[in-house]
Amino acid sequence: MKKEQIIVRTAEEKDIDEFITLIMRMKRLNGEFDSMFKANDDNIDAIRNYYLNCIKDKVNFITFVAISGNRIAGLVKSEIRNRVSYYPPQELRIVDLYIMPEFRRKKIGNLLLNAIYEEMRKRKISIITAEFPSLNMIALNFYKKIGYREITSVYGKFIDDNKE
Amino acid sequence: MDDNERTSRFNRLAVEYSRFYKGKIRTFPNVPITSIKDFSYWYTPGVAEVSRVINKDPDESFNLTGRWNSVGIVTDGTRVLGIGNVGPEAAMPVMEGKAMLFNLLGGVNAIPLPLRVSTGDEFINVVKALEPSFGGFNLEDIESPKCFFVLRDLQQQLNVPAWHDDQLGTACIILAGLINSMRITGRRIEDSTVALVGSGAANIAAANLMLEAGFKAGNIIMVDSHGIIHPEREDLDKMMISNPWKYDLALKTNAERRKGDIGDAMKGTDIVVSASKSQPGVIKGEWVRLMNKDPVIFALANPLPEIWPEDAIENGAAIVATGRSDFPNQINNSLVFPGIFRGVLDARSKGVNFGIMVKASYEIANFVSSPEPAKIVPSMDDWELYPQVASAVARATVDQGLARKIDSREGFLKTAREIITTNREAIEKNMNLGLIRRLPEVNL
Repeated sequence: MKKEQIIVRTAEEKDIDEFITLIMRMKRLNGEFDSMFKANDDNIDAIRNYYLNCIKDKVNFITFVAISGNRIAGLVKSEIRNRVSYYPPQELRIVDLYIMPEFRRKKIGNLLLNAIYEEMRKRKISIITAEFPSLNMIALNFYKKIGYREITSVYGKFIDDNKE
Repeated sequence: MDDNERTSRFNRLAVEYSRFYKGKIRTFPNVPITSIKDFSYWYTPGVAEVSRVINKDPDESFNLTGRWNSVGIVTDGTRVLGIGNVGPEAAMPVMEGKAMLFNLLGGVNAIPLPLRVSTGDEFINVVKALEPSFGGFNLEDIESPKCFFVLRDLQQQLNVPAWHDDQLGTACIILAGLINSMRITGRRIEDSTVALVGSGAANIAAANLMLEAGFKAGNIIMVDSHGIIHPEREDLDKMMISNPWKYDLALKTNAERRKGDIGDAMKGTDIVVSASKSQPGVIKGEWVRLMNKDPVIFALANPLPEIWPEDAIENGAAIVATGRSDFPNQINNSLVFPGIFRGVLDARSKGVNFGIMVKASYEIANFVSSPEPAKIVPSMDDWELYPQVASAVARATVDQGLARKIDSREGFLKTAREIITTNREAIEKNMNLGLIRRLPEVNL
């Protein structure tokens, strides 16, 4: 495979269709690991609108894409959260980070995170957190490898047999 | 008698004979015992000194005990032949059969060890605990992808060779067959395009061995039950964790990013190696016509190949191989593992790897002096094959710094030939003397 240069830039509205394709791949993967995260493919219009708003809202969200040629090779979407009871008062939470399989092991995850860290410094946010399904071993291995540690746990269960 | 009747007859004979012999192998003293006095050196008190010597240097166990020639055949019974997860007790007859082949063809003392274990880690721990007793391990009939994890960890953690015959033995004989197929059809490894139909243990190992032998990753297209494997397929995400071996191949093969089914994969390729569903028609004759001139078809599913050989030939195949003995070119692991193990045992090797396997494949291919379309691999009764493979393997382990015992190719050949011949003569003598009983009459 010929080596394409990877460019990391802020996500733009024009990226939305490909952005959503990658997001849904990740959500469906989460569903493979845990049935509590079954992707709602029937709700694609609402999902599209939500992420389009995230891309547009540069105050509360930070989104980057890694571009190879004319394709999105990976993306990260993070949101600024207020911590009213703690200091420092804000953290950046990575909610979506996904790299297409053929672009993995090429440090694209690091490139995206470096872009995020740069933006955090500009905004004087010093804490970054990442959330992902506990059973998503790919995410778990990735974050452990780059020095993140478990800081909180969320437990869940279905309260009856109706999983819908 | 048709195929079904013949199979049914063999099945009934197998049960009746097994009931008669009550086991296909046994242990037998290897030293002269003429009186009770002999026990003073074979057993107490003398044997304690042998223990002390080994205690000082555990590698002496290869020189002072039968460890040098002992192989554990280990299974959890989760994927036995074509019958699936039958459990360890039911795996025993198959492991005994394998032990018999090890002994007859390679002069190896192989011990069947079906294990009652529930996880791959448990399996690995048991084999590691058994390491002091054996010169190598042959893993057998373990479900995929567990077999990949188990083999990887054991190869990393043991100081003797670990071999999974369903992966490595099959890969070796496939490569040997391909080498001669390409000689006959005038192809070069580095230019040849290949469709691998089926992405289970055998074809994943075959793909990796083919890469080691010089095939270009981009020229290989792999197909599984969901179609052609390519990097954009959505199930790759999960595959990264569940089957990293298949995932790695998915990323580096199929340079042109072809998509589709088996027919699409075969279009314009030189070679098809199919280890897929046992059903003629999985590969269609019309797809063979879409391949390059003089295509090579390996349809290896048992008992029924993915395409009948005559069908493949009618549609232009230059060479067809199957897994069956009643057609030409049987791609059979038994041509590989006896020589591989004879070689690693004679060199007291600490391991075995793809580089050594490529050498073994060439040795097997070269054994066929004049390859022809109906003769690309040797047959099981080519007795000289096994010492030839063994000596090539043993020497390769020396060259790679894995051998505990150094010798020349000729020296290893002499050793292997002597062990295998002497052992086979002992079996024949025992049969002639009636110590191995004749087959009983069975009324079917």
